[in-house]
Amino acid sequence: MSPAVKLTKIDKALRAKADQSAYLAGDAKTEIRICAGTACHAFGRVALRKAVEKALAERGLTGKVAVVETGCHGFCAEGPIVVLRPQGLFYPRLKPRDIEEIIATSVVGDGIVERLLYKDPATGEPLAHEKDIPFYALQERIVLALNGSIDPYSLDDYLNHGGYAALAKVLNAADPQSVIDEVEKSGLRGRGGAGFPTGKKWRFCRANPGEKHYVICNADEGDPGAFKDRSVLEGNPHSVVEGMIIAAYAIGAGNGPVEGYVYIRHEYSLAVERLRHALAQARERNLLGDDILGSGFSFDIRINQGAGALVCGESTALMASIEGRRGMPRGGHIRSVAHGLWGQPTNLNNVESYANVPWIVNHGREAFAAKGTATSKGTKIFSLTGKVVNGGLIEVPMGATVRQVIFEIGGGTLPGREFKAVQLGGPSGGCLPASLLDEPIDFESLVAAGSMMCSGGMVVVDDTTCMVDFAKFFLKFTAGESCGKCVPCRVGTQRMLEILERISAGEATIDDVERLEPLADDIIEGSLCQLGGSAPNPVLSTLRYFRDEVMAHVVQRCCPAKVCRPLIRYTIHADACTGCHVCLGACPAAAISGERKQAHTIDQKLCTKCDTCRQLCKFDAIPVETGIFAMAEGRRQ
Amino acid sequence: MANNDSGHGGRATQPQDSALYEVLKGIDFERRELVDKGKGVGLFDLVKARDGSYRCYSCTLCERVCPVDCIEIDYCPEFEELPFDVAAERAAALTSLPGESCGAGAACVMGEKPAGFMPQIDIKLFDPVIAGIRAGSGLVEAFHATQEAFGYLPREALEDIAEEMKLPFSRVFGVASFYSQFRLIPVGKHVIDVCMGSACHVAGAPLVVEAFSQELEIPVGATTPDRLFTLQTVNCVGACALAPVVRLGDDETLGRLGPNEARKLVRRLRKQEVGA
Repeated sequence: MSPAVKLTKIDKALRAKADQSAYLAGDAKTEIRICAGTACHAFGRVALRKAVEKALAERGLTGKVAVVETGCHGFCAEGPIVVLRPQGLFYPRLKPRDIEEIIATSVVGDGIVERLLYKDPATGEPLAHEKDIPFYALQERIVLALNGSIDPYSLDDYLNHGGYAALAKVLNAADPQSVIDEVEKSGLRGRGGAGFPTGKKWRFCRANPGEKHYVICNADEGDPGAFKDRSVLEGNPHSVVEGMIIAAYAIGAGNGPVEGYVYIRHEYSLAVERLRHALAQARERNLLGDDILGSGFSFDIRINQGAGALVCGESTALMASIEGRRGMPRGGHIRSVAHGLWGQPTNLNNVESYANVPWIVNHGREAFAAKGTATSKGTKIFSLTGKVVNGGLIEVPMGATVRQVIFEIGGGTLPGREFKAVQLGGPSGGCLPASLLDEPIDFESLVAAGSMMCSGGMVVVDDTTCMVDFAKFFLKFTAGESCGKCVPCRVGTQRMLEILERISAGEATIDDVERLEPLADDIIEGSLCQLGGSAPNPVLSTLRYFRDEVMAHVVQRCCPAKVCRPLIRYTIHADACTGCHVCLGACPAAAISGERKQAHTIDQKLCTKCDTCRQLCKFDAIPVETGIFAMAEGRRQ
Repeated sequence: MANNDSGHGGRATQPQDSALYEVLKGIDFERRELVDKGKGVGLFDLVKARDGSYRCYSCTLCERVCPVDCIEIDYCPEFEELPFDVAAERAAALTSLPGESCGAGAACVMGEKPAGFMPQIDIKLFDPVIAGIRAGSGLVEAFHATQEAFGYLPREALEDIAEEMKLPFSRVFGVASFYSQFRLIPVGKHVIDVCMGSACHVAGAPLVVEAFSQELEIPVGATTPDRLFTLQTVNCVGACALAPVVRLGDDETLGRLGPNEARKLVRRLRKQEVGA
């Protein structure tokens, strides 16, 4: 039997088992796809689902119209999202009371409820279809391709969309070495941020002898502001499982036993649940376990949950944690591909890296290598958040510029606000100012610009964010997450933090600022792992691009963004104040006084600068002032 | 004084020559040089207070933070006479004022808390954890299972895990205290988790934390005396589109919550409790 014949046979056998009724896209029947990602869930998708079911039951349509809860659609800012297939009608920001109208118009009839459509923020035109919306139209989705269209709980749905075809192909036609070659030549690089060539890692791991080889998926996405791995696991867990099985086959087939682990954050409860479900289903169909699909290759995956330590995203700390020790990294001179988990050769890749593998096997390395830049191939997922209109999950080809991502897909900053910077790569990355917006996104150019790809967090900040405060936030985070093993990281970050505290309190000297850079270099030099090695990055990039703002805190003792509390003062503008009593009632410190319909005043001695009054004032009567006077008054307190 | 010939990567030990001096200035170099690594042990001793008692609170912090893992605290059967009165030290630690104790404060499980503070645990709930360990689950997984059963990691449970896995208690406790998600004391009825991710930070999460803290009159990480509320912060719940995000318990996620709404939320929950 030729390999090709055997392939189609196994593939057919796999697909014959799939329940065809779960797949409706080919029929004329309508599907209502409700996004069940974390953001849409929090926006109330459960109530939405109930409303849909009720409306369908009233019309006797239960069972005739499919209601599917899918993974994250990516457009989290517009949640909860409902998409009607096959028309591809896109309804954002729905309330349960809107459902009745949608069912009547778009499901029973074939009209469109224009009132509820997404409006183009630039023109105000309503856009009916997903493909017309700039947020989706400008993306190129490989990993997220099926995210909004399949039911993450259904293996059949995945199979019917061509899932596990790559695995069948690999198990039959390819010898392990050629799988590694395929991935290596595709140019896929580690999506966890470091960008190590994935195929190369597999090759090293295979070449290292051991009693057992381990294949680990790193889903410990601890960086604040990043949620791509979570969304992939929530939306399409089988793609990651498939990628891991292929990796295990490439590393372990004919090379001794292999075992898999997924190390996932405990906070991601929904992702854990869906992954667990996916693994159980895969075992049921013999996609995992002994003698996978009759190929003679055996492999299984275990889930290991983290417990809220950022450092466990570092590969050696992660392995220590699986072994039941404190998650502390070890020196980089011992390579995990030779001595990893339990001292055995171990391959560790990010969720997104594994999710790319089936696509590469299915479409060939040339198709993958055709996307992206000379050194960085394929696409990259970013979590676009912060002060941006269209926040959410986006996937763009490598080499797209930061400007395209933020202004074309993300729709730019909120109305009336000015773009200030974009923070890339979370606590290990750095801020890029407006002047670097045309920088292409690839591993090398971001590092050259003082930032990092890292976990794909992209936080846009506008003129209301103080860069000193923002850098302090990240440093506080890494200082708190330092495992404490090596001194430069444990003590050094603390010293840097103290300096930043002084700067934002208006108590720093120019010496302090000058001390920051050499101190940062020492921490980078002396730390054992990348947590310490990249911890000073946010501060360094702030000093590089926003030195003026830092110096304003030091020399003029003012905070231009009006954030640093010791340097600001809240006052009430007597002309604008209508004396409505709203701020007075809400002030937790009882610092506001005044008669009704008379201008109120703030007692500076009592004011805690909690910002409540400013947020509540409908008349913009409470401006924030900054400068040395504010500090002088702060001192007097 | 400095032994330059030790050959540790050829790094100069003269502090002022070291590029890391600025970083290392928290460490007392002159003292460090008194420690002759060649002879090793016996140079570290417990410091005594004026009245002759030891100042050690057995917080195990030295063991936990040692950068080279050279300290391991263990029960030592040769010394049946303990070097100091543990019970009295514990009592002293518990009655000492804030700032006087070792700083471990409420996180300290080494000593028993005042009556009623540590509820009796139902050890039956613990059986599945032991079963899990026997089925091959790791230490961290065992902790997750324990926390699921009790809501926190009781000391008895940690002792049982240590026994079952044949590990020193210090190791088990060390791992439990390393991970921020494991709680060593019981939590209140409502656990408020304020997300401190970067998107939430720029959207004003620090103000929300402060509002909760003021309204509940407790610092972050503490539980109200009536055991109704525990205020915590989490790194990032990944719902950045909803920033600032607050998680109430395990299943309720509240988005776009300002300081004023935060205060209202606490008042509403309090009212509910009074009504119930």
